[in-house]
Amino acid sequence: MLEVQNLHKVYPNGTRALTDVSFNVEDGEFLVVIGLSGSGKSTLLRCVNRLIEPTQGKILWDGVDVTAATGAELRGVRRRIGMIFQQFNLVKRSTVMTNVLAGRLGYVGTAGSLVGLWSAEDKAQALRALERVGLAEKANARADALSGGQQQRVAIARALMQNPQLILADEPVASLDPVLSHSILQYLEQLNREEKITVVCSLHFLDLVHRYATRVIALKDGQVVFTGLPQEIDKARFKEIYGEDAIEVKAGLSA
Amino acid sequence: MARLSLASLLLPGLGQYLDGRRARGLGILGVILAMLGLIWWSLIPQHLSLESRPIPLKGDPANLAWLVVPALIWAWNVWDAARPETARGWIPVSLASIMFFVIGWQAAEINPPVLASNVDRVMLIIRPMLEPDFIQARAEEREGWVELLVPCPAEAPMTTAGSDHAIGVALDAPCGSVGDTLTVTATGLTPDVGVELIWQSPIGDFFPLRQADNPTEFRVEKPDAQGNLTTTFVVPNAIPPGIDPTLPQEQRLYIRQSRPLGGWELSTNGRFILQGIYETIALALMATTLGTLGAFPFSFLAARNLMSSNAFTLGVYVVVRTILNIVRSIESLIIAIVFVVIIGLGPFAGMMAVTVHTIAALGKLFSEVIEGIDPGPIEAIRATGANWLQIIRYGVVPQVVPAFTAFTIYRWEINVRASTIIGVVGGGGIGFFLIQWINLSDYRAVSAAFLAILVVVQVMDFVSAKLRERLA
Amino acid sequence: MSTPKPDRWRALRLTLITLFVALAYVFAYRGSFIASGSPLDPRDLLSPDLWAKGGPLLGDFLTPDLAARDIEPVTLQLPVPVPCGSAENGAPAASGPRLVPSVPCAEPRDKFTVEGFELQPNTELQLRWRLPSGQYFPGQFITTDADGYFSAEFEARPIVATKDGVPGQIEVELQVEVGELKPSQAFFDVLDGVIVTIFMALMATAAAVVVAAPFSFLAAQNVTRRGPVGTAVYYTVRTIFNILRSFEAIVIATLFAFWVDFGPFAGVLALTVVTVASLGKLFSEAIEGIDPGPVEALTATGANRLQVVWFAIVPQIVPNFVSFIIYHWDINVRISTIIGYVGGGGIGYYLAQMINTGQDNKAGTAIWAIVLVVWAMDFISAEVRKRYT
Ligand SMILES: Nc1ncnc2c1ncn2[C@@H]1O[C@H](COP(=O)(O)OP(=O)(O)O)[C@@H](O)[C@H]1O
Ligand SMILES: [Mg+2]
Repeated sequence: MLEVQNLHKVYPNGTRALTDVSFNVEDGEFLVVIGLSGSGKSTLLRCVNRLIEPTQGKILWDGVDVTAATGAELRGVRRRIGMIFQQFNLVKRSTVMTNVLAGRLGYVGTAGSLVGLWSAEDKAQALRALERVGLAEKANARADALSGGQQQRVAIARALMQNPQLILADEPVASLDPVLSHSILQYLEQLNREEKITVVCSLHFLDLVHRYATRVIALKDGQVVFTGLPQEIDKARFKEIYGEDAIEVKAGLSA
Repeated sequence: MARLSLASLLLPGLGQYLDGRRARGLGILGVILAMLGLIWWSLIPQHLSLESRPIPLKGDPANLAWLVVPALIWAWNVWDAARPETARGWIPVSLASIMFFVIGWQAAEINPPVLASNVDRVMLIIRPMLEPDFIQARAEEREGWVELLVPCPAEAPMTTAGSDHAIGVALDAPCGSVGDTLTVTATGLTPDVGVELIWQSPIGDFFPLRQADNPTEFRVEKPDAQGNLTTTFVVPNAIPPGIDPTLPQEQRLYIRQSRPLGGWELSTNGRFILQGIYETIALALMATTLGTLGAFPFSFLAARNLMSSNAFTLGVYVVVRTILNIVRSIESLIIAIVFVVIIGLGPFAGMMAVTVHTIAALGKLFSEVIEGIDPGPIEAIRATGANWLQIIRYGVVPQVVPAFTAFTIYRWEINVRASTIIGVVGGGGIGFFLIQWINLSDYRAVSAAFLAILVVVQVMDFVSAKLRERLA
Repeated sequence: MSTPKPDRWRALRLTLITLFVALAYVFAYRGSFIASGSPLDPRDLLSPDLWAKGGPLLGDFLTPDLAARDIEPVTLQLPVPVPCGSAENGAPAASGPRLVPSVPCAEPRDKFTVEGFELQPNTELQLRWRLPSGQYFPGQFITTDADGYFSAEFEARPIVATKDGVPGQIEVELQVEVGELKPSQAFFDVLDGVIVTIFMALMATAAAVVVAAPFSFLAAQNVTRRGPVGTAVYYTVRTIFNILRSFEAIVIATLFAFWVDFGPFAGVLALTVVTVASLGKLFSEAIEGIDPGPVEALTATGANRLQVVWFAIVPQIVPNFVSFIIYHWDINVRISTIIGYVGGGGIGYYLAQMINTGQDNKAGTAIWAIVLVVWAMDFISAEVRKRYT
């Protein structure tokens, strides 16, 4: 279980990105975070694995205080939390295989990994992960030779290499077209259902939220303004969260 | 496959070339040729002339063993021609690297242990380097002297006691022989400030008197509270060889005192440093200005898109480009050597050299800017019936000014650095003084010159950064 | 509506700036137009006298000493009996290099004219008497004209009189080129210098890469500037790079020449130092310019700092690094052509020697070699960089 308690984040330039955010995520949930651009979604997700240092508050995961972890302990937490990014964040000049294997870095020794020695086991697992996202035949291609959707699938494979118990996905489909969005989210859903991996995902499109979320929290100006089931978000709520001028955009249809 | 292998066996890289991998083929051939040439060079014994330094590596028959490397690469190349997917590129690359670096190590006479074994030399200069000679405590040098005859003449001798700055000096005897102990009295000294005793030989050389019990140290005496000093000394043997030692000669004892005046002043070398910096900045500024003005016309003549209209202009283009390229590859320091011969030592020779190099370097950069401009406006201006100069003025110049400015500022930074060293060959500026101090082993002044160069370069870089900001 | 007042401030500022620039140029002019210790009148620049020295110098540079034949001394002789009839008269050759006296024989103390044909043009030669004893008696120096011709008064001294039927002979010693045209000594010296220079640049660049690559990470904001220690390290490394970049290699070479003695090694060390500073700066800027996404992604997998650098940063910067390294090898070849001037070693040392001893043809050889090598390096480095990035 992931517990976020009274989380605050103030950036050095004074921006209050998160203010007193608290919520829990049960194991196996598919939690979707929604909110306007700039509402603090990315900040929140990055606080969970401490890519960003929270200013105040506590994050407990499986009873471990993530906010207090340091050094090796922190890396131990991180390696069990996969992360997927809007811009995929692949090393473009490296091969797909190397990118996927990089997911094991938290598990292997520094010296071996630096000279590129990977165990046969790791390589086999990487191939399985690539098969799983349907890209096994691209293993030796360079990452920048792949399309956006394929790159995001490589990123998912990389996250899988961590044997994660939790996946953080920060707007994983925002750079992709609607059809690809569904395919990516379906992979996440599959992992969530079959492997019981908890997913915390930020999304922009209401129809995707309705389709994939088991629960939703909404952020506005860094504060939680809604927690509940996806069905509870109707037009009125949506307007409340996104502001009066917002119109609902459906990812499935070209709006 | 076999055909390609055979081709590569006959001529390295040929198979790859025929296979469409032309760069690889040419690369292989080039590397093997370079290696064979290098081995040939290392085998011929060096014919030592007066001007050449011996190169330890040369003429050693053991170098023949290096033939293994091109042979292996040749073999690899046959393999690569047939099955490029299995031939690993790192094999020839590492083989070639080993050979080039080992030969390079010998040719460049790399010898790291010398760094450690000669560390005492560094220790020797570190102290003076930490005390840069730029300013000194203000002081007033005063001296007085007394003349005596050595040895004593038969008749009664005449003694003159000269003095300036109110130091009076007197002896208890008008003459003395080498080894005599005499007493000297000096008056009008500054109390409690050390006094030096200096002997002047009959031909005018100065010898500071040394301490009797410690001959490596000079004598320094302290006057009393009234500024009087009375002390004894032994008449030294200062008669140069070849002069009859029995012949009485006029010799002098100087009493010298350096009186601190409080405060600081530029030292002599400090003044040279200021002058050097002034010359450095002056010649950098002049050279950049004149160089930019000179590069401007050349750049138009060296721009292909402006010069390809007919055979004559194309010819001009080729000639100008070639000259720019040749001059550009000769360092300004070498050009300076030539100008020093023609014009004489001094900043002007250095300025001319940097100017010439600037014209060539900027001329090329400028012409590339011109070649990269949008042809649309030029066409439009030409369509109005404008002539060549008008096209330049209205179609080209407005497009190139920002890039020209940027390159000029960049060149200014280079020229400031170049001006700091152009003096090494007599081209004026701080380098002129620096190289002399190095030759004189005056490392206090060297260190001051280094600091001065650092300050000048940093300040000038700062100025150009500001300028760039302004213009951006 | 009143017309806007002229902006006084602007005008004043403009005037001040103009004044400042004008003053700067006045001082720059006075500081740089100095030759041989005295101010140079710009009008003197137009005088041909000033540039007269340049012509022959340029001519020498343009005719580099590349090939030469072996030189063999050849003596031209012609018997001239003194007094007449004491021996058989010599018969001058009809063609080829030859000496032709105006008289076939002479009485002691007679003066006659000697002409030389088809000798070396524009050369100083010494005319002399070969005595019957085999010793020679020196006569005057003569200089041949462009056709290899000379004509000189010569005196028959009593000492040259025929002895035992052997007549005295007039003679001149020529330096004659024989055999095939071969690469000259200068050619080989320059080849040595050029190869050593290229290797000096190669070794210095390699050493500099080994030092600069790790340090550049310390001078990159996005890698190092974290926490007080990181910030301190960042600024320290950066400042060191900056300070070292202020000095030209040749200045640093003077110190190393003192430390390790004159020779290519001193040059290599100096080049290494400046290349470390320059590459360090370029490298760290390349690192600062990377896409931060992969760094974030790999940090999120639990990788440690070193692994993040190796897997997320290094692959992104390799092409830039390679291009910078080759570019610097190219630059270093250029710099090492002059570093020999103070550090010894390489073509610069040879060039300095030639110029200082006035052997301008040989200096020309060195200069052309430098031009050639710099061109070749320029070309190769551009090609490789084009292919690699
Ligand atoms: N590194 C940063 N420094 C300062 N302010 C930041 C930084 N990153 C994000 N912010 C600010 O914090 C707020 C939340 O940003 P973010 O978490 O990226 O929102 P979202 O992902 O929901 O668009 C925004 O106002 C943003 O401008
Ligand atoms: Mg975001």
